[in-house]
Amino acid sequence: MFAYIVRRVLATIPVMAVVALFVFSLLYIAPGDPAAIIAGDQATPADIERIRASLGLDRPYLVRFGAWVWDIARGDLGTSIFTNLPVRTMIAQRIEPTLSLMVVTLILAISLAVPMGVMAAWKQGTIIDRAVMAFAVLGFSVPVFVVGYVLAYYFALEWDLLPVQGYTPFSRGFFPWLENLVLPAIALGSVYIALIARITRATMLEVLSQDYIRTARAKGVGQRAILFIHALKNAAVPIVTVIGIGMALLIGGAVVTESVFAIPGLGRLTVDAILRRDYPVIQGVVLLFSFVYVLVNLAIDIAYTLFDPRIRY
Amino acid sequence: MERRSFLKGGAAAGVALASGGVAAPAYSQAANRTLRFVPQANLANFDPIWGTQYVVRNASAMVWDTLYGFNDKLEPQRQMVEAEEVTDEGKTWTFRLREGLRFHDGEPVRGRDCVASIRRWMPRDPMGQLLRAATDEIAAVDDRTFRWKLKAPFPKMTMALGKNATPMCFIMPERIATRFDSFTQINEYVGSGPMRFERNEWVPGARAVFSRFDQYVPRNEPASWLAGGKRMGVERVEWVIMPDPATASAALQNGEIDWWENPITDLVPVLRRNRNIAVDIADPLGNIGSFRMNHLHAPFNDVRVRRAVMMALSQEDYMTALVGNDRSLWKPLPGFFTPDTPLYTEEGGDILKGPRNLDAARALLREAGYTNAPVICLVAQDQPITKAMGDVTADLLKRIGMNVDFIATDWGTVGQRRSMRNPPNQGGWSMFHTWHAGADAINPVLYNAVRANGDGAWFGWPNVPAVEAEVPNWLAAANLAEERAAIARLNRAAMENVVYAPTGFFLSYQAWRRNVTGIAKGPLPFFWGVSKS
Amino acid sequence: MSTTVLPPGVNAAAPMGDIMPPVIARRGVLGFLRRNPTIAFGGLLVLLMVSVAVFAPFLFTKDPTALAPALRTREPSATHWFGTDMLGRDVYSRVLYGTQVSLLVGFSVAVLASAIGLTIGLISGFIRAADAIIMRVMDGMMSIPPILLAIALMALTRGSVRNVIIAITIAEIPRVSRLVRGVVLSLREQPYVDAAVAAGTRTPVIIWRHILPNTLAPLTVQATYICASAMITEAILSFIGAGTPPIIPSWGNIMAEGRALWQVKPYIVFFPAIFLSVTVLAVNLLGDGLRDALDPRMAKRL
Repeated sequence: MFAYIVRRVLATIPVMAVVALFVFSLLYIAPGDPAAIIAGDQATPADIERIRASLGLDRPYLVRFGAWVWDIARGDLGTSIFTNLPVRTMIAQRIEPTLSLMVVTLILAISLAVPMGVMAAWKQGTIIDRAVMAFAVLGFSVPVFVVGYVLAYYFALEWDLLPVQGYTPFSRGFFPWLENLVLPAIALGSVYIALIARITRATMLEVLSQDYIRTARAKGVGQRAILFIHALKNAAVPIVTVIGIGMALLIGGAVVTESVFAIPGLGRLTVDAILRRDYPVIQGVVLLFSFVYVLVNLAIDIAYTLFDPRIRY
Repeated sequence: MERRSFLKGGAAAGVALASGGVAAPAYSQAANRTLRFVPQANLANFDPIWGTQYVVRNASAMVWDTLYGFNDKLEPQRQMVEAEEVTDEGKTWTFRLREGLRFHDGEPVRGRDCVASIRRWMPRDPMGQLLRAATDEIAAVDDRTFRWKLKAPFPKMTMALGKNATPMCFIMPERIATRFDSFTQINEYVGSGPMRFERNEWVPGARAVFSRFDQYVPRNEPASWLAGGKRMGVERVEWVIMPDPATASAALQNGEIDWWENPITDLVPVLRRNRNIAVDIADPLGNIGSFRMNHLHAPFNDVRVRRAVMMALSQEDYMTALVGNDRSLWKPLPGFFTPDTPLYTEEGGDILKGPRNLDAARALLREAGYTNAPVICLVAQDQPITKAMGDVTADLLKRIGMNVDFIATDWGTVGQRRSMRNPPNQGGWSMFHTWHAGADAINPVLYNAVRANGDGAWFGWPNVPAVEAEVPNWLAAANLAEERAAIARLNRAAMENVVYAPTGFFLSYQAWRRNVTGIAKGPLPFFWGVSKS
Repeated sequence: MSTTVLPPGVNAAAPMGDIMPPVIARRGVLGFLRRNPTIAFGGLLVLLMVSVAVFAPFLFTKDPTALAPALRTREPSATHWFGTDMLGRDVYSRVLYGTQVSLLVGFSVAVLASAIGLTIGLISGFIRAADAIIMRVMDGMMSIPPILLAIALMALTRGSVRNVIIAITIAEIPRVSRLVRGVVLSLREQPYVDAAVAAGTRTPVIIWRHILPNTLAPLTVQATYICASAMITEAILSFIGAGTPPIIPSWGNIMAEGRALWQVKPYIVFFPAIFLSVTVLAVNLLGDGLRDALDPRMAKRL
């Protein structure tokens, strides 16, 4: 077990190396010049050249890559070209809103989608099944920002129940914090709910038709006990897998949701940085996201062994 | 706070007990002393001379003070300067500072701080460069005085030091102005103005916070733009950056923000209908739209092709696309200088007046021998102004029979590519769109874009000796009548040679909640004199 | 109906009607469609959208790029069925022409990603030496959230339909190759494949006869999901400003341009949103139906 964990952790290193090389090379050959953007509309070409030189944008590829890797290893993610702040600081400032959004979305999605999927599986073929699945697929089909706009319009503007935008730090209180996250979480979660509900239903259907479930029923075990104790436990593996894979969806959707609801998170930071070609920030954030994604999947792999003793690597 | 809070209301007791956070009543009291403002763009970096973005200038105007400042008649007035003395036939200026001026770190503002700040500013500013060339010596005399010796008289000295065109001449501590040269960003924001920049609360791209500097000594006169007494009515100003105008609109209606710098015109009717929101023109000096052509390469190196575009160009189309159906928001501009300013002229602008003549345009193109060479149009999609103008241009050029190669990209790429002098099909360009603040287009030395000194000119590199000849004439003019004559000749030459094609003059709105008072119209948002009830 | 005596406590099942449907409807396309309503419904909608795309010029549309600033932001009316946008362009025409782009993006990405992913997966499954490297690279690419990857790739080049297709394809390839590789690896252990190898059958023949037929089913289903996801990704890319240029209308960039006005002129966002949602829904249903028809066990993995 321990050896397995160690092996899996070591296996992440070459993956991260590939990501690092990929991210770094991608940006090196990009057109678009941050120096010109900083200089602003009224600058002369000579100004722009001077700014380029002062930012070190004219050193050769290998030198820059080597320097960058060395810095990353020491925990220094570089300094933003535009704001002159350390990338680490910029990320630290923005991590709480994105993390909060993801956590709330995750909890919301799982607590809605799993029961939905179970219900649909249990009442397979009935109106409930079809309704739940239609609802779920709708969540998958309507773009996140449309859902966001509609929610904001009704819940915030018309009925004045929730704020339209912004983020309140957790330190200001639990309910103010939650208030700002409800609408974005629902918008973002709509996609996730669809995915999880579908997989839950499919897996539950398969599990429910297994012999050991029929045995349990014949023994007289109550319906609810069957569903939650026996069936769900066995269905846990694919559900958890999908939660892990869905993280990527969440991150992508977070970019849009943060923009619509003006949440000062990492998603917006990344998009702004990419469109402005703020190289150090882009590299830092994409590395971070990938690292988190790899970690999450690692955690899931390890969690498998808890759910299913048959799985041993 | 007007917005009723569903969750808060239902769990008021829970909040106080469970979270231990700030209770609701105390929070809203503090809120009345904080002004939440949505700026025109993100405040990514914060050095007033580093770039020329307007948003940096607007924030800097709170944090740093200036020696002089334009009032609402564009006349430079003394600000940090108590008195100046001009001797030696206009070649020596002695400035005496006001009493009690302090920096945010508590240090007094001294003559040598001014000298260092001016030295740092001059290489980055067009007027500053003229001053530098004319400077013999500038040095502090004592703590409250400094002297500037010139090789030749420079009557527009106070204009240079007090103008609001970027980059402004802000006064910062000597140690900062000497530590960072003119081409390196500062990273310490110790200012001399009425507000302090809270660097540890700054989240670039999301929020910037300014708090009142209590030791600031305002002048006695009433405030008028950048002149007069800058008295802060609120304790804190929070800049909230919102990428989505629909969100900003909803937030203003909900009371989550107090003041929006430039609401898009289509949303203004909704804001107007809200009883709690006031809407008015933001800046009477407005903006000038620009269709900037590349004079170095075909097709726009031929003046006939440029004039063909001018013949067909409909400023009405451009302006309507830009500001919408509200006719009071734009004016036709058959000239290059800002309407309703002393130097405005329509001399030579007949080509932009009257019904548009596409046939004549097509004929002129044929005469110029235009044979379907592609016109590389650089259009930034992330700036609403350039995006709207770009769409109209593509349509216009197609209709007069030009071969449009529309490059939809972002502002950064436009900024890089427009500096390339290569032929358009080798990484260069034929045209791009931009706009100029009306406040910058009031005379030729503040206005890079109208200069036509070939290789030394702004992107596009127009070369029109007739335009350049009028600049020293204007500088040497003895009175307004002579100035206007020189500018009229300049305008005509610029029009006939199409230095660039102005697409029109447009205004924009600003919107604020009615419990906020003291909001003035001007080229930048002025935070002094504004208070919340 | 027979009368069987049942033991006490056991209830008889409800009488069933005629279990066997008429022979005609059981076979053939109609029978297939009747048994699989999701495929029928989804397929019909997709076909509808494809026809809209193909026949767009003939469906009472005007030039989608024709500007008329004087007519900007008009409500839906008899002359402009979906109203006009902020440059006076007819939204109805733009939405219909946008179908072409969105469907093109969706289908192209699905086909390209499947083809390239299939190739990579096959190579990876068969050639052990290549497997290690390829899978590391694929893992690496999968670690970068696909949206960020697509935005970053779009930031390298100018906005165009071709570049959007390439960017999204690159982001989708790793998953397909993983899928194919998985199938290949599991099939290689099968006795009949082993036998074929032992008999000296050449690899291409093995692939053609044994591997491909088994990958086709999950690949097809995956391709439909990729199509749906690509259309949404294109919309998001345009929303952020890194998608197709506005001269070519796509549902994504129509919505992006209208987003600022959704409070006052919601129809600019509303109509393309409906079209996009319906199409994505249809493609998803098609995928679900195919999956259920071909192999319901796939539901666990997809």
